[in-house]
Amino acid sequence: MKTIITAFTLFICSLVTAQGQYEQGMGKAMLLWKEGKTEDATAMFERIASAEKSNWLPNYYVGMVNVTASFNPVNKEKVPAMLDKAQSAIDNAGLLSPNNPEIMVLQAMLYTALIVQDPMTNGMKYSGKTMEQYYKALAIAPENPRVVFCKADFEINSARWTGADTKPLCEQVAKSIDLFAKFKPESAFHPNWGLERAEQTLKNCK
Amino acid sequence: MKTFYALVFLFSVYLSTAQNTVSGIVVDEKNKPVAGANVFIDGTYDGSTSDEKGNFSFTTEAKGNQILVISYLAFETLKIAVDVANCKGKTFKLKESVNTLDAVVVTAGTFSAGEKSRVSVLKPLDIVTTAGSAGNIIAALQTLPGTQTVGEDGRLFVRGGEADETQTFVDGIRVAQPYGASTNNVPTRGRFSPFLFSGIAFSTGGYSAEYGEALSSVLLLNTQDEADQNKTDISLMTVGLGLSNTQKWQKSSLSVNTAYIDLAAYQKAIPQNVDWNRPYQSLSGETVYRYSLNNGIFKFYAAFDAARFDLNQEDINQPEKVRVNLNNNNFYLNTSYKGNFSGGWQLFTGLSYGYGQNKVDLNTNRLNNAEQASHMKLKLTKKLSERVKLNFGSDYFITRFDEDYNTAFNSGYDAVIAAVYAEADIFFSKNFAAKVGVRASNNNYIDQNSFSPRASVAYKVSKNSQFSFAYGNFEQAPKQEYLKYSNDFKTEKASHYILNYQYVKKNRTLRTELYLKKYSDLVKYDTDGAQYNSQFNNNGTGFAKGLDVFWRDGNSIKNLEYWISYSYIDSKRNYKNYVAEVTPGFVSTHSLSLVTKYWISDWKSQIGFTHQFNSGRPYNNPNETAFMNGKTKLYNSLSFNWAYLLSQQKILYFSVSNILGTQNVFGYEYAKTPNSNGVYDRREIAPTADRFFFVGFFWTISDNKKDNQLKNL
Repeated sequence: MKTIITAFTLFICSLVTAQGQYEQGMGKAMLLWKEGKTEDATAMFERIASAEKSNWLPNYYVGMVNVTASFNPVNKEKVPAMLDKAQSAIDNAGLLSPNNPEIMVLQAMLYTALIVQDPMTNGMKYSGKTMEQYYKALAIAPENPRVVFCKADFEINSARWTGADTKPLCEQVAKSIDLFAKFKPESAFHPNWGLERAEQTLKNCK
Repeated sequence: MKTFYALVFLFSVYLSTAQNTVSGIVVDEKNKPVAGANVFIDGTYDGSTSDEKGNFSFTTEAKGNQILVISYLAFETLKIAVDVANCKGKTFKLKESVNTLDAVVVTAGTFSAGEKSRVSVLKPLDIVTTAGSAGNIIAALQTLPGTQTVGEDGRLFVRGGEADETQTFVDGIRVAQPYGASTNNVPTRGRFSPFLFSGIAFSTGGYSAEYGEALSSVLLLNTQDEADQNKTDISLMTVGLGLSNTQKWQKSSLSVNTAYIDLAAYQKAIPQNVDWNRPYQSLSGETVYRYSLNNGIFKFYAAFDAARFDLNQEDINQPEKVRVNLNNNNFYLNTSYKGNFSGGWQLFTGLSYGYGQNKVDLNTNRLNNAEQASHMKLKLTKKLSERVKLNFGSDYFITRFDEDYNTAFNSGYDAVIAAVYAEADIFFSKNFAAKVGVRASNNNYIDQNSFSPRASVAYKVSKNSQFSFAYGNFEQAPKQEYLKYSNDFKTEKASHYILNYQYVKKNRTLRTELYLKKYSDLVKYDTDGAQYNSQFNNNGTGFAKGLDVFWRDGNSIKNLEYWISYSYIDSKRNYKNYVAEVTPGFVSTHSLSLVTKYWISDWKSQIGFTHQFNSGRPYNNPNETAFMNGKTKLYNSLSFNWAYLLSQQKILYFSVSNILGTQNVFGYEYAKTPNSNGVYDRREIAPTADRFFFVGFFWTISDNKKDNQLKNL
């Protein structure tokens, strides 16, 4: 009986370890990303994605890490390969979690990265696609602070050369800051970024 | 105590099973270490990243045979079965991915514009923001090297070839009547609005075995796979109106585009050198429906165009002007399906039907003709590996042409051309690629078979530059004007040899191409023009050789994009009723174009200039004994356009062609008989107007306030 209990305990232990492994892995990957080790963080998230075949988050972060890194001028040479990697990760995440507004925001950010790369070629083509993602996300999650903020942020940036009025857009940024305060992520690893950038953007608005 | 032992025992088992070290080294094809590669056991957390020397090592709990995955940016992901207990110090070789942006591309002969093309010399937007093009795809392509500006015709003349030596394809399917209706010396336009196309490839020679029935060139237009969004575009122009609407659903989308063009008002305001009874008027429409399936896409494209005009045309051989009253109706339909299947198979199949009808009144005589043309196509692609792709397929072209003159003199023909082809795309490495193919066809009307091998190779010599070489035999049935009178012909033939060098860095492109083209079996006849009693033969010959240079720079000066095209050509032909091998009238030895586009943020404007020069073109002066010995003066035209963003979705557009008002002459028409002094009279063939002004207002209505019609200008 005791042996059974022992075995059972060990079994539970191993389960907990597996659970712990996910938390540990994600935690470590997040740390690598924070330290600016883009490739290592990507590698870690990819490994987690290969183990956690039904969880969209590791793929989401493979996309997120590469999209954000592509905005860094240091990576200029690698950008096309990074965005390729990000796009396939976003596609995988989207298959695991369809109609997810967080993934739509990330997709919109990838399109924005393409526009930044070559505004003459991609500006016209991808600004429509970017906005389409934001409208889709807004229809699903009007209270999601990242959707509200990123959409307004993108429009403020385009307004810079079209001369559109940014006042209503700044109001949206302010609204998103209230929404950030109310937002509760599902888990420690669910997307919960954006408040600092929103505050920064609002500061520049005035 | 027993329990304690059991616990320790179990625990140690539990620990010991967890320990298996997997180690090795990751190298590339040249045995150089790859640092930063992600190495892991598929389905587990166990893995690590290779270090500077390519070494990796990690421990895993997994047992037995597992899949080891090694991935790195710009390399093919390696998946390999290993026994984890037994995997130490092994060397793993990664192959460079040939699907990366910097891989070699076979470019000889081709200019491509499109997001998917990796070596775009042009961007899709360029086709339409080029000054002087006025939304005509063909006019924009005429600023590229290898083309001839034949202003009185308007069609594409490529490398010493006649206009009908270029075939146009929409989504891979032939368009039998790609140009709008016209008459002698009044230029035509391309029938397609740039609105619905996302990719354009223009090949000036050496193209794939997939395309046949073209001696000189192919123009490939691809409709968008997916619409961007729901929107409505309204255009108000000095020459007419346009309206288009796009609806997008979950899996499908529909775009409809209509235009009404009427030159009557413009003609009143600014008279032209044409004596119109009724200026050009047309109603046209296009529609595209796309449906995405799980593993493929279905497209349906249809276009109609009804045009008419009525004018009095001078003719040196007639005392009075000749009244030409033309009615043209055209319909084109194209459906296609492309699907991906397991095992690396891709299937493409499509069908087109084109109907073109002309009613032409020449004074009191009436000419009626109608052409029906259909193309059926099946193409299969098998990906044998990441590096070898096999394409094969078949084409079936059916053409029926009927013509009558005053409902009497009937002529016409029915022709069926069946063709098969096979082609392989091979990457030997990231720097060396080849395309080898062959095409065979049979034309039942003239009872001829042809067999055309084609090959091209490309080699990348440095990070930014590459050489390509292309060779091929090309065949085409003689043109309609001959076929309607006889079927005693051979197919006309050409062979191309092309050497291409391309340098691409940042936003700068240099592309130079040397070519040699040899023609054989060209049609000759013994009368003034091809007619019912002409004696035809296939003894014609010809050649074209030259140099094309293209330089594009979007990097040196902020907000300025420009390109320069220069072509040198030496071409002679002995065909039609020529008495010797001479340079034909549509060839200018030197052609130079300069296209600039400048964005001025403060004015919210894009300003563009296009300047074209062509050296004189030959013409035959019957007052001289030497055949085709005349030369026109230099052709010079400077065009300007200005697009102004009134607001994000409203654009005001202004353009004027030939600002300087240069009096250009395309050639001369001589009398068939001398006058009383024994001299053959002549008249100039000149542009229909010295300048052409265009003002338009373009308004886009969509949920997304970002979009506008700049891309359609």
